Amino acid sequence: MRDFMGVLLATLASVLVLSGPVAATPAKEAPWLPEAAAYRLTLFLGNLEPLPWDDVETAWTEPYRGSEFSTGAVEWLDRESDIAPDGLLDAMTREDRQAVFAEATRLIVLRIEEELDRALAAEEPATAQQAMRTARELYRAFENGIAAADPEAARRIGLAWLELNSSTGSAGVLGAGATSADRDTMAAARATISGYLVENYLLDSFAPRQTLSALPETAVLSGRAIEVPPNLPPGSDIFDQDPLPRLVLNFEEQGIDETDLPLVAYGDMLFDSAQVFGSPARDLGLACSTCHNRSDVNQRLFIPGASHQPGAIDVDGAFFNPIFNDRRDDPIDIPSLRGLRFTGPYGRDGRFASLRDFTRNVIVNEFGGDEPTPFMLDALVAYMLEFDFLPNSMLTTDGRLTDATPEAALRGEEIFNRPFTGLGDRSCASCHVPDANFLDRQAHDIGSVAPAYEGARAGALDTPTLLGTTYTAPYFHDGSLPTLAAVVDWFDETKSLGLTGAERADLTAYLEAVGAADEPYEAFDAENTAFRLAFSELTTFASTLDTLLPLRDAKHILLLTDTVAADLAADASTMSNLAARPEVYALAERLAEVGAAVRVEDWAAAEASWTAFKSEADAIEERAF
Amino acid sequence: MAIHLNRRTMLALAGAGAVSLATPLAAQDTELRLAFIPQENPEKLLGDIEAITGWLSEQIGVPVEGFVTIDHAAAVEALRNGDADISFMGALPFVLAAAEIGAVPLLSEVYRGAPSYTGRIFVRRDNGIDGLADLRGRDIAFADPISESGYLYPLAEFVEAGLVEGPGAAEEFFGRVFFAGGYQQAMQAMAEGLVDAAGASQYADLLLTPEQQAEVTWIAESEPIPSHLVIARAGLDAALRDRFADAMMQLNEPENRDKLRYLYGPDGYVRADPAAYDGVRDMARRYGLLE
Repeated sequence: MRDFMGVLLATLASVLVLSGPVAATPAKEAPWLPEAAAYRLTLFLGNLEPLPWDDVETAWTEPYRGSEFSTGAVEWLDRESDIAPDGLLDAMTREDRQAVFAEATRLIVLRIEEELDRALAAEEPATAQQAMRTARELYRAFENGIAAADPEAARRIGLAWLELNSSTGSAGVLGAGATSADRDTMAAARATISGYLVENYLLDSFAPRQTLSALPETAVLSGRAIEVPPNLPPGSDIFDQDPLPRLVLNFEEQGIDETDLPLVAYGDMLFDSAQVFGSPARDLGLACSTCHNRSDVNQRLFIPGASHQPGAIDVDGAFFNPIFNDRRDDPIDIPSLRGLRFTGPYGRDGRFASLRDFTRNVIVNEFGGDEPTPFMLDALVAYMLEFDFLPNSMLTTDGRLTDATPEAALRGEEIFNRPFTGLGDRSCASCHVPDANFLDRQAHDIGSVAPAYEGARAGALDTPTLLGTTYTAPYFHDGSLPTLAAVVDWFDETKSLGLTGAERADLTAYLEAVGAADEPYEAFDAENTAFRLAFSELTTFASTLDTLLPLRDAKHILLLTDTVAADLAADASTMSNLAARPEVYALAERLAEVGAAVRVEDWAAAEASWTAFKSEADAIEERAF
Repeated sequence: MAIHLNRRTMLALAGAGAVSLATPLAAQDTELRLAFIPQENPEKLLGDIEAITGWLSEQIGVPVEGFVTIDHAAAVEALRNGDADISFMGALPFVLAAAEIGAVPLLSEVYRGAPSYTGRIFVRRDNGIDGLADLRGRDIAFADPISESGYLYPLAEFVEAGLVEGPGAAEEFFGRVFFAGGYQQAMQAMAEGLVDAAGASQYADLLLTPEQQAEVTWIAESEPIPSHLVIARAGLDAALRDRFADAMMQLNEPENRDKLRYLYGPDGYVRADPAAYDGVRDMARRYGLLE
């Protein structure tokens, strides 16, 4: 079995089974077969309003983002299958949502049937197993729908797949260990699978779908309310960026321990908690930190239909909170939150003067969460106001270059401060004020936003800081410029600055020096691992129980224990010290016990579990890597 | 894991040749053909193969060609009929290939500091199963009948415990015995509750979601199993074989370690110790796979 190595690559295949609080630790999915990926993308995109038909077409014609297959589904089918997707392509051309759903659903069933036919007809066990595995992989397209609607059928079919694989026989090695196929058992198992799929997914017509999903037709017709756990389609990426940005917290740099700042520590926890949001963000484990890794950006974040490129997201689209859907396809590049207390007003267009108002808007409107308590908002704001800019030894505190800066950057500094006619006799520095953290806290229309309608004056955006920007590409509100050099070129061209090639290079060098940092990323090694960092953070979050338990503040205690216990257990999967994992699971359970005791108002038991947690956490700390 | 070989059992890819670096060569060592076994998507593997064979060509001084076989058995067949000179191989198919066609072990893979690993019996923590005896009459999924860590060694734990009389008698102890097709499938069947236990590599729980990993545990662990290895066909020119092994050992150097990801991602390689595989031979004999 070759997959001994595959195990270590930790490739995961399952659709997440959601129960209880969801941790903000994403699971890597196994690669999807092209047509199964296209189907899942179609279901996802088909629920967006307005429906992005171009994306649906792309889902079938091009490999999904990050696919390990070099071809899209249509080409793949042409190569691998006798089934023609003509009906599907026609339905897409007509932009007929129900017809696309029906054609795509039938196509997947026919593909499963085709592979099962091949498996049963194969003479060689290896060939049969290969076809059977392909069929099983295609079945993933329907799996979460069946599991949600009909757990008993899901179990029956799951066992049938096991039965089918077990009965295909084995060629052994050079004849050793060879076993022959058990054809009767294969046929019976196949009948179980095919019978259900044909009855539920291979229909001439389907009941109209308000929401596209993989629910079986019989379940839809029953009229029962069935909740399919939210899921992201193939091509989504909610992992943290690698390398991980370094977090600079003002108090920490001053040597103050976060455990002595319970409000800040609780805000830190909320920043990492999916529980503050509503579904689907909460169920998918999305937290503030999913987009803002360590107060900075997440350059890899991508959700089909909501992101036009990695690192960008449309937070007022159809997916997160339908009532807040502005029906405009306007994803923005995720902004860094470094130096947040100096960068107000907030929002790309500076529409929120108050960080507190902005934060509430994110929680309630953008991500559909319940109204946060005043304490939660106070905590989040207290935490975020600690975000500092990255130390940069090439800059003085008042924004001038130091002697440590390359010559080209020093030449660029002069250009940066030079007034240009094309800038209205102003310089770059007029708005990106060097001694004011390279911003002016005002909104300007520099022509980077296309007018929304004729005569619109809505193109003004808040001046962004230049600090730390060397690591936050791409640039502009929509991430349309890939490099700082491209930003310089854009200004040179659109503002007729008349810079020579050498001057553009110097100005770029200046921006790179201003945007640089001495240590931009977290440094990890064999024992100082990402898990150790997570362990330290999670136990710090928990330390707020020292404040909350005496206050008998059940609501905020439960928010904490639900978040931290789930995250601690889930993060254990990332440990390199595998032997210590059971101890971390036990520790997570200890914290869950605090929550369970608080739920029944047994405060003595809660205090006892919390005391035990603290001593066990101390004991484990050395092995927590 | 999808294994789709494009309707062909073999798909060849020429590695970039760097013949100019070669010393004058004898007729029989003018090229090297490597058999790879797909673990997930063969298309991705082809890209990996292209990257590693190009590098190996430069190091060895002969063109190196890689191709994907459908499974271990096909790779062994390729070694036997001369279609492949070298193959990546599990310990069990290796000892069978060594006995039948005189295949030669060259290198063993290293994971987490050792050229060995173990097999384990995994169960769900909420299932009330504390020991192997609790699995009497219950269902179990193994990975594959030709798998050392995904069948032979985990089942041997039941034999050691006196619960199963011997290979072939497993059905008398368990309710049902399934071969799920791989570690991941066996573990998923256990985690989802389709079966009560799974027999798989010690690392197989890492194939589950983070939430599932917290829900499972293991109740028995096998003796160490020598890790997967790189083997050569009998009769391959000894000098060329050595040059290949030397080049592979260079992958342990810091500047080359990034290339290990093209080769199933081990931490490195050590020269194979043929004696290390004696235990697998004994195990294969007990299961009637080897005389």
